[in-house]
Amino acid sequence: MTKIKMASVSELYDVTWEEMRDKLRKWREENYRNSEQIVDVGEELINEHASKLGDDIWIIYEQVMIAALDCSRDDLALSCLQELKRQFPDSHRVKRLVGMRLEALERYEDANKLYDSILQDDPTNTAARKRKIAILKAQGKSTEAIRELNEYLEQFVGDLEAWHELSELYINEHDYAKAAFCLEELMMTNPHNHLYCEQYAEVKYTQGGLENLELSRKYFAQALKLNNRNMRALFGLYMSASHIAASPKVSAKVKKDNVKYAAWAATQINRAYQLAGRGTKEAKYSVKAVEEMLESMQIAMS
Amino acid sequence: MLYGTGVSHQCGNCEWRIWSDFKTMTVKLTTQAYCKMLLHAAKYPHCAVNGLLVAERQRERRRDGHGVPVLYVDCVPLFHGTLALAPMLEVALNLIDTWCKENRYVIAGYYQANERIKDFRPNQVAEKVAARISENFSEATLIVVDNSKFTMDCYEPILTIFEHHENKWKCRDSTGDCCEDWVEAQKITAALLESRSYENLIDFDNHLDDLRNDWTNPEINKSVLHLC
Repeated sequence: MTKIKMASVSELYDVTWEEMRDKLRKWREENYRNSEQIVDVGEELINEHASKLGDDIWIIYEQVMIAALDCSRDDLALSCLQELKRQFPDSHRVKRLVGMRLEALERYEDANKLYDSILQDDPTNTAARKRKIAILKAQGKSTEAIRELNEYLEQFVGDLEAWHELSELYINEHDYAKAAFCLEELMMTNPHNHLYCEQYAEVKYTQGGLENLELSRKYFAQALKLNNRNMRALFGLYMSASHIAASPKVSAKVKKDNVKYAAWAATQINRAYQLAGRGTKEAKYSVKAVEEMLESMQIAMS
Repeated sequence: MLYGTGVSHQCGNCEWRIWSDFKTMTVKLTTQAYCKMLLHAAKYPHCAVNGLLVAERQRERRRDGHGVPVLYVDCVPLFHGTLALAPMLEVALNLIDTWCKENRYVIAGYYQANERIKDFRPNQVAEKVAARISENFSEATLIVVDNSKFTMDCYEPILTIFEHHENKWKCRDSTGDCCEDWVEAQKITAALLESRSYENLIDFDNHLDDLRNDWTNPEINKSVLHLC
């Protein structure tokens, strides 16, 4: 299939090179994995505007190289890598990128050897340790990955990204209690982060049982307090309160309270859908569907 | 555990049996259903994704073994990333069930594409959700996307279909094609992948991030129709 020459990004979207550079920075800072877009924008920036980028170019090479690996663009990955190797010949940071390329080619043994050599030189190099754990994950060795990550966290207790990764690994293994523990660590150090609260609530809910449901309801409520537009927290509050109210084991007072919470949540959900649906014809069904769903759940609950 | 080494049908954990007497259950997908499933997997290549398959509600399904295939007319992409949490799944199942009733559909199947390329077996999440669906639709199937066969050209069907027998999910011989019109499905899916339409595919996670995101994907449905 012959490739039609595509219009450049700047032509298609009518953006300047500065805007492209700023977009790349935003994606970098917020850790987005929109690799195809990064490759599109980054490749053009590098090819057409390298001279204007100044020292930014090195971090852009790194970002584009990693995105290129995601898109199987080994040609692009190699050329970025070559520029970086030339500029930073003895850098561990660049060596890690060499390792990542080996991983992308599934040459895990070679990649591990490379990371081990970095760690011999610098045992505190967290990046190399994390890549080794990523390799375990890629190979499906979840138990080992979890063990290594736990060991890592004993040394680097403040690494939030690692705690979050560990919570996900535990969730995938259905070890919800340990996942909850990880999220508790995250909530302790980031009490204003509504996402951690909400995820913790979801884990508790999944664990099940009355006590966990009540805890989940409290944390869904807390997440809402921190961000009143978190729809997951709102739905979660509704679901947990409804289940508690429907449980035969609760006292009349608890039942009454939870019916109230659920009713409040239902109104908020309806309102959110009304707001979202304004102006779109298709969204009307969605408002109706939500109303009906909430009604049918009320019936099941009473 | 064997990961399908050398066996033509790669299905590490299922019982590979000749279903000679097994004519009843077959499953077919419309182009729209097949397409959206693949677009969902393509949008999040680094994540596990899952979703529901819906069929038209029929007043009575013939159970006399004369192989009326279940036709999946549409698919609703659900989540990407962490699939093993309950609350949002419950919300989605309830909401989509209500939507189904409005449109004379029924939730009749479940699909999942795993995070790793070589992982093509249904896991606990898949089995649980599929079991839940079976409560309402006894012939529910569980479909796993074979990531290792996923290409831009879509030159072969890449689904592994599991059916529930004797308390286990067993995979079905996938030599037959599972699409109502394979040529059409292949052509249209390839075209939409090429044009990166998956960037606009909405799953339930996207919907929860912003309620204006429509998980019925009317725009993509239109594109599919347009290309038919």
